[in-house]
Amino acid sequence: MSQPASLPLVASLLDAPLPASGIAWLDASRRENRAAFAAGGLPDARVEAWKYTALRGLGQRSFAGGDAAAATRVVDAAAFALPGVDGPRLVFVNGVFRADLSASDALPDGLSLQPLSQALRGDAEPLRFALSRPALVGHVREAADAFVRINAASAGDGVVLRVAARAQISAPVHLVFVGAAAEAELAWHARNVIELGEGASLSLVEHYVSSGEQAQLATLVSDIELREGARLHHTVLQNAALGANLIRRSGLRLHARAQALLHVLELGGALVRHDLQAELIGDEAQLHTRGAFMPHGRQHVDTQLAIRHQALNTTSTSNWRGVANDRARGVFRGAIVVAPGADGSDASLNNKNLLLSPTAEIDTKPELEIYADEVKAAHGATVGQLDERSLFYLRSRGIPLTEARALLTAAFCRAVLDDLPNKALREHLSGLLIAQLPA
Amino acid sequence: MNEIMNNQSSTAATLRDNAGVAEVLGRSYSAGFTTEIEMTGLPPGLDEGTVRAISAIKHEPEWMTEWRLEAYRHWLTMPKPDWAKLNIDPIDYQAISYYAAPKVAPKSLAEVDPALLETYEKLGVPLHERAALAGVAVDAVFDSVSVGTTFRKQLAEAGVLFCSMSEAIREYPDIVRKYLGSVVPTGDNFFAALNSAVFSDGSFVFIPRGVRCPMELSTYFRINAQNTGQFERTLIVAEEGAHVSYLEGCTAPKRDENQLHAAVVELVALEKAQIKYSTVQNWYPGDENGVGGIYNFVTKRGDCRGDDSKISWTQVETGSAITWKYPSVVLRGDRSVGEFYSVALTHHFQQADTGTKMIHLGKYTKSKIVSKGISAGRSSNSYRGLVKMEKGAEGARNYTQCDSLLIGKKCGAHTFPYMEVKNPTAIVEHEATTSKISDDQMFYCRARGIPEEDAVSMIVDGFCKQVFRELPMEFAVEAKKLLEVSLEGAVG
Repeated sequence: MSQPASLPLVASLLDAPLPASGIAWLDASRRENRAAFAAGGLPDARVEAWKYTALRGLGQRSFAGGDAAAATRVVDAAAFALPGVDGPRLVFVNGVFRADLSASDALPDGLSLQPLSQALRGDAEPLRFALSRPALVGHVREAADAFVRINAASAGDGVVLRVAARAQISAPVHLVFVGAAAEAELAWHARNVIELGEGASLSLVEHYVSSGEQAQLATLVSDIELREGARLHHTVLQNAALGANLIRRSGLRLHARAQALLHVLELGGALVRHDLQAELIGDEAQLHTRGAFMPHGRQHVDTQLAIRHQALNTTSTSNWRGVANDRARGVFRGAIVVAPGADGSDASLNNKNLLLSPTAEIDTKPELEIYADEVKAAHGATVGQLDERSLFYLRSRGIPLTEARALLTAAFCRAVLDDLPNKALREHLSGLLIAQLPA
Repeated sequence: MNEIMNNQSSTAATLRDNAGVAEVLGRSYSAGFTTEIEMTGLPPGLDEGTVRAISAIKHEPEWMTEWRLEAYRHWLTMPKPDWAKLNIDPIDYQAISYYAAPKVAPKSLAEVDPALLETYEKLGVPLHERAALAGVAVDAVFDSVSVGTTFRKQLAEAGVLFCSMSEAIREYPDIVRKYLGSVVPTGDNFFAALNSAVFSDGSFVFIPRGVRCPMELSTYFRINAQNTGQFERTLIVAEEGAHVSYLEGCTAPKRDENQLHAAVVELVALEKAQIKYSTVQNWYPGDENGVGGIYNFVTKRGDCRGDDSKISWTQVETGSAITWKYPSVVLRGDRSVGEFYSVALTHHFQQADTGTKMIHLGKYTKSKIVSKGISAGRSSNSYRGLVKMEKGAEGARNYTQCDSLLIGKKCGAHTFPYMEVKNPTAIVEHEATTSKISDDQMFYCRARGIPEEDAVSMIVDGFCKQVFRELPMEFAVEAKKLLEVSLEGAVG
């Protein structure tokens, strides 16, 4: 570890005042996490989980903590409108809840949706378990969790979403995080707690946008719990501006027969890191993840997927595509762990990547850790370029080379959206994907 | 023992019960004898004096002593690697004796202690006349010194230099000085640095330009003395257009304490040269309770320095309590080829973290990795590999296949492949699967009257076929037998 306090980033994050809640356990937990962050500092390349994502550049920057004017910043609602997503909406600007931009008045039965800041003013006790749980849950080395700690210390707002048992929420819930240009380069944090009761179902859209190109640092930590038989369709669209440094950690727990279908699209950002840690803790739980990351320019996009099979007859499938262009770097790790006794686990993962430029780089690392024998586990990863024969086929039918390339690259990425159930959203997202590809 | 049998019988619940299997429970390590001959050696401990003493015993020139000391000083500054998926008890480097040799140094094969020859006889090394029959030239390394090299004359006629490393340092200092440490530098990693400081012997092979080595070369390593570590150093240089196939086998007696083996192997292939390096590693793996066994921390690396050169590693790893080994190829020359074929079997409490690195630097370089891991008992077996396509690796190609087979409920099989690609015209492909022997396969065999043990061994053999095919014939037979012995008691 480098000297933690000597890094401008660490010093500036520690400089920001902790949000005061007036709740003894929460304030204590925030102080502890801040102290742990101060002691541990930032992870360097020797920490395995950060091997391919260097924080040297980011570590040298300073960000002002919190935005006093967040409540009045002008944000164009068109910036986050999505076709097919017309349900309840919560909007956060620079980490602060904006009631004027949100739509959460007429909630369907069984859905409870409010900002964390509000939830804490009411009965904070139900949140105690999630918010005071130590950030470190075992197998990750300490400094690897630096951003989770500073988030636990500094996040004053976020989403608290609960779906009552057996409630079927049909309209998709839209969670919007806006990074808005401010007087100084900002750091902001958000903490989300999401729970689906037994047999409940929900479709959720998590959305990152920016207004302005200013550099920012945002950390977001989400806990998602799916009780027995719950179903979640979760779509993440990350379309932040090129100045945004986004560090996210999602923890997903699936109880018996719960099912989650996740689609992730990483389009924007400067340095983007997403840790997704899923635990299949109930029998017959199912997790399906799909995602595409398409860094260009000097973007660095790092996705770390860790799926733990801990119960009988659980299933996971993962299908991720990466396209790196210009001087960009795409990093992917897809780890599957089958715990002792998790018989009947069926896990498959595949990550295919295209390199479009001689100065771009892809680092991929699929992993299997298997401790049970009645399992099926497979993974595959490739890095390469478009298939020559497919290109030839298209050209022989009169399609010019550049167009043929664009067509095949678009098809390559779009494959991850095939099973997105919301048709209007699917079409919109694939439009965004194609727009991102080089002409 | 009872406890072990209980564990094993619980694993049997998934397969069918078989009373006959109980008889063959417990594994036999047929190479686990010791040889009573007078040994001379250095007392345990390691400091600059030890390094100088080893160098002095071997009558080494000044530059070699300095080379060792430099490595030793570097080693002192290095942290022990802890990234592998291994539980290693702390090693007391001061408790190890860094040099052991038979007391009377043999001058020729005829003078070699008969007890020693008997040892090799028991191991089935065709050292003497048997060598002639087998047509294999053998350099046998016993603890720390090389005890005799067969077929020297025939090889010399072809221009091939094949001798122990100590002899090579004395007789061919220019070649040794030019290539030693050029593939694995002294400070490459913790164990390579230690080896560079205290290596006692090993094999040296030099195939001059255009020569195709007339026979397969072979080394047999054996750790005999107690409390010793074996640090051998092998260097193989194939000049332009030369070809060589080299085999290596290893055993050690049964002892309760762990013994350290930290070898370094360097291969250099110049233009159009080909080196094929095969290993059957059967160091003592410890008993069924995980007591004793060899710590096998080996650095093996080949350098395809010339265009159109080829280096191929084949390994069958059944022994050692802990294996930490990543035979690698640096593909420097354009159109050079690297291959890695591996079968790693772990049983009882063995741990293996093994794999390869393919570093593509040259244009149109190709590499192929086939790794088969088999875990049984309470063992842990990991594949760890790196495929790196550097910016200049225009049109380079890699294909990797890693399969793991689990036998029993308490073992682990892991895969950690790293792929780093910086060239858009390079293609990297990786595939891995993990499964157990399927009930269908077992049922099919049993229905045709094949006993359970034989069925498992047949299926495992089929699983490994792709790798065994790459081994020279004698080794393929030995490897197959080794797997059978090693798997005894794994089912049932």
